Amino acid sequence: MLNRITPPPVRPLSPRTLPAYREAALSNGIPVYWIPHGQVEVAEVMMVFRAGDSFQPKPGLADYTAKMMAEGTASYTSTGLARKLDDHGAWLSHETDMEFISLNLTSLERHLPDTLPLMHEVGFTPTFPEAEFQKMKQRNLQKQRVTEQKTGWLARRHFGPLLFGPEHPYGKSLGLPEIEAIQYEDLAPYHQRYFQAGNAFFAVSGRFDEHKLLALLDQTFGGLPYTGANKEDSSAKDVPFVTQTGRHYVEKEGLQSTIRLGHIGKERSHPDYYPMEVVNTILGGYFGSRLMRNIREEKGFTYGISSNLVSFRNDGYFLIGTDVKKEVTQATLDEIRKEINILQTQPVLDHELDTVKNFMAGEFVGSLNTPFEIADRYKTILLDGLPTDFLSNYVQNLRAVSAEQIQKMAQSYLNDEVLMEVVVGGK
Amino acid sequence: MSNIPYEIHTLANGLRVIIHEDHSVPKAVMNILYRVGSKDEEAHRTGFAHLFEHLMFEGSRHIPHYDEPLQRAGGQNNAFTTSDITNYYLTLPSNQLETAFWLESDRMLELAFSEEKLAIQKSVVIEEFKQRYLNQPYGDAHLRLRGLHFQQHPYNWATIGKEISHIEGATLEYVQDFFFGYYAPNNATMVVAGDVDPAEVMQLAEKWFGPIPERALKKHPLPQEPAQTAPRRDTVYADVPFPAVYKMYHMPAHTDRDYYVADLITDLLSSGRNARLFLNMVKQRQVATSVSAFSWGMYDPGALSIDAQIAAGHSPEAYEEALQQELDSLQDLSEEDLQRIKNKVESMFVLNQMTILNKAMSIATCDSLGDPELINTTPQIYQAITLEELKEVAARIFHPNNCSTLYYLPK
Repeated sequence: MLNRITPPPVRPLSPRTLPAYREAALSNGIPVYWIPHGQVEVAEVMMVFRAGDSFQPKPGLADYTAKMMAEGTASYTSTGLARKLDDHGAWLSHETDMEFISLNLTSLERHLPDTLPLMHEVGFTPTFPEAEFQKMKQRNLQKQRVTEQKTGWLARRHFGPLLFGPEHPYGKSLGLPEIEAIQYEDLAPYHQRYFQAGNAFFAVSGRFDEHKLLALLDQTFGGLPYTGANKEDSSAKDVPFVTQTGRHYVEKEGLQSTIRLGHIGKERSHPDYYPMEVVNTILGGYFGSRLMRNIREEKGFTYGISSNLVSFRNDGYFLIGTDVKKEVTQATLDEIRKEINILQTQPVLDHELDTVKNFMAGEFVGSLNTPFEIADRYKTILLDGLPTDFLSNYVQNLRAVSAEQIQKMAQSYLNDEVLMEVVVGGK
Repeated sequence: MSNIPYEIHTLANGLRVIIHEDHSVPKAVMNILYRVGSKDEEAHRTGFAHLFEHLMFEGSRHIPHYDEPLQRAGGQNNAFTTSDITNYYLTLPSNQLETAFWLESDRMLELAFSEEKLAIQKSVVIEEFKQRYLNQPYGDAHLRLRGLHFQQHPYNWATIGKEISHIEGATLEYVQDFFFGYYAPNNATMVVAGDVDPAEVMQLAEKWFGPIPERALKKHPLPQEPAQTAPRRDTVYADVPFPAVYKMYHMPAHTDRDYYVADLITDLLSSGRNARLFLNMVKQRQVATSVSAFSWGMYDPGALSIDAQIAAGHSPEAYEEALQQELDSLQDLSEEDLQRIKNKVESMFVLNQMTILNKAMSIATCDSLGDPELINTTPQIYQAITLEELKEVAARIFHPNNCSTLYYLPK
C-alpha cells in the first residue's frame, strides 16, 4: 500500500556553481563584464550608467531623460528606430532604478552588428524633440490623475516622505506637481552629465562568440570620449534621514484599506542583512509566512499580505503591505503587531527555520536560470561594490542565521519606536 | 528553428504525461493543466472554477498543508484559472522531484473538504474581487464588457465571477461535486520538465498517479455564441477622471488557423513601441493617452479587445471614428510591415522559451489545444500567414457589426 502520509525525504540542495563573469575593457577604458552561458543564441547587452532616482535634481528627471532618448537620434526618428529594431526581432529598453539607468538590448547574436549601433544612437546621439516631450508629459499627467485615485498610490505618496524625510531621494514619488516641474530644458544637461563613457560599464550575457562580441562592442562604443571615471556618488548619502514614527491615517472612500508598515533598513553588505532577510521571509516573504497564514489563511481578511526587504547601495527599507476589507483595518493592524510581538519574544523553532531557509535557498538558486537573470544579479553586485563571491556564498550565509539573531533583529528593527504606519481608507 | 523535444505517455487512468528534458540547471518543473475553466460554470454560480483553485491549496486527503512541505523541499508554486483551463505549476530542486509527485497526486486523488476552509477562501476571493476589480478606477470595465459581448456563451462572465453573491453562495456540496466532475486524471495533462530522467518520471507517475481512478466527467456541451448582426453599446457613469472606451470584437477560436492571423494583427496594433495604435492614435492624433489591443486566446470563438483612455479635450466619439479609420487602414498594409511583425513574433516566441517553466506551461497549453507539437510549429504558422489572409481576417473582425462598445464616463 502506497504511503501517502509521509513526505519523501528532503535532500540537501545540490551545490550549484554559477558561471563567473569575465572582464575586459574597451579601448577607451569602458569596463565590460560578460557571462557566456545559455543554450539559445541570444545576447543581452546592458549598458549600465551610474545615474537614476538618487542622482537627480528633480524626481522623475532621470526616467524622463531615458524615455526621451529613444524618441529621436542623429540618424533615426523614433518610428524609424522602432522599425529597425523590429526588423531584427530585437528589443531595446531602459531601466531606471534608484542607483542606475541601464540601456538593455536583447538581440539574436547574428543581428548584433546591426542592433548594437542602434543602442549607440539612443545612448549618445539623442535629439530630444521638444514636441514629443510635451506630448509625453501631457499624457503622463492625465494617467497620473487616474493613478491618484488608487489607495496604493496614496499610501506610497505618504509613506516615503514620512519614513525617509521629505527631502530624501528614497522618499520621493512622482505625483502631479513633480511631473509638472520637469522641464524640457532639464533633459539635455542630465543626459550630458550622466551618459558618459566614464560613468558606464557593460554587462553582457547569453550565448555568443566572445571575441566577436568584444570586437563589436569596441567598434561601436570604444571611440566614445573617455574623460576618466566619474566619481560622483548618489545624493542619498548626503541627505540625512528625517524619520517620523507612529500612525498616519489618510481617509478615503472605497471598499478596502491599504496598509503600509515599515522602517529604514540596511544595505547588502551590512551584518544585519542576512538575519533581516530571514526575518522578512518568516514574517511575510512567502506564501507560508506567518502574516499570510494568520491574516489570509485563518482570518480571510485579505487577498494577500506580504513584507519586503529592499536594499540600496546605502541603507534600504523594510515594508509590510496589504489591502484589507475596510471593516477589519484595525483588527489587521492588531494581528500584524501580534505577529511581530511573537517574533520578538519567542525564538523561531527549528522546523520553521529549516523550512524558511530551504525555501529561500531554493528560491535563490531557482531564480538564476537564464544567463540574463544571472547577469542581472552581477549588475547589482558591481554597482553596490559587493564581493564577487556574493552569489556563491549567499546560501551559506543564509544557513548561518540563528534563531537568536532573528529574535534580536525583530526586537531592534520591528519595535514601535522605529516602525512607521500609514493607513489609507478606513480606520 | 524551434525544436523542443518531448515524449508523451498516457496512464491507464487517462492522465497524459509529457516529459521534456533540459539539464541546464538542477531544477524540475511539474505543470498540471486541468481542462476546466469558468466556461464550465452555471450562469447562477459563477466564479467557481477560480474559487476552487484556491481550495486546491487548502490541504488534500493525506496532506494537511500543501505549501509547507513544498517550501521545505525548496520549491515554489502557483496556479491560474482562465475561462478554459485551470493550470497548477511548481518548480523545485531536481533531486526533490518525488515531493512534487507526492503533493500533486494527493490533491488529484481527493481534497480535504471542510466548511471552515471554504468560508475562509470565499472571503479571500471576495477581497480579491474588490482589490482587482471593484476598488480600482475602471476596474470592472471588462466584467461589464464581457456581459455585453457574449450573450449565449459562458464567456459572458470573467473568471472572478459575475458578482460577489455567487461566491458567497458556494456550498460544500457543490465544491465536492465540482471536484469529482472535473478534477480527474482523464481530464488533465501533466508536464514534467527540466533536469529529469524520463524513465524515473514514468516510474514515479505510475507509482503516485497510477492508482487514482478514472472519473466520469461532468462535461456538457456549451452554448455557442451566435453571430452578431448589429453593433452593441452600453454606457456606465462612475467616479473616474476621464472617459474610457472599451471594445470587444468576436475572434476565431484558438484551435482555428485564423486565430493566429488575428493574434498577429493584435501584435501589429499593440505590441511594443512600433505598435500602430500607439503611434497613430496616441502619439500622432493624440485622441487617447493609451490604447491597447489584446487577444484573449479563448478556446472557443472568443474575443479581441481594444481599450483606450480618451485624451482630455477629445470625445469618445472622435476616438471611435479615428480608431475605425486606423483599423480600416490595415487594408493598406505592405509585405514589409507583415514581415517585420512576423520577425517580432518569432523573436518573442524564442525569448519566451528560455526558462523551463515557460516551456512546460507552453507544452501543456499546446496539448490542451489538441496538439502538443504546436510548441514547435507555432512559429511556422505565423510565418505562413499571407498579406491577403491578414487583410481578409482584419476586415471580418473589425466590422462594426462584430463589435460591442462600452463607454466608461465620469459621473
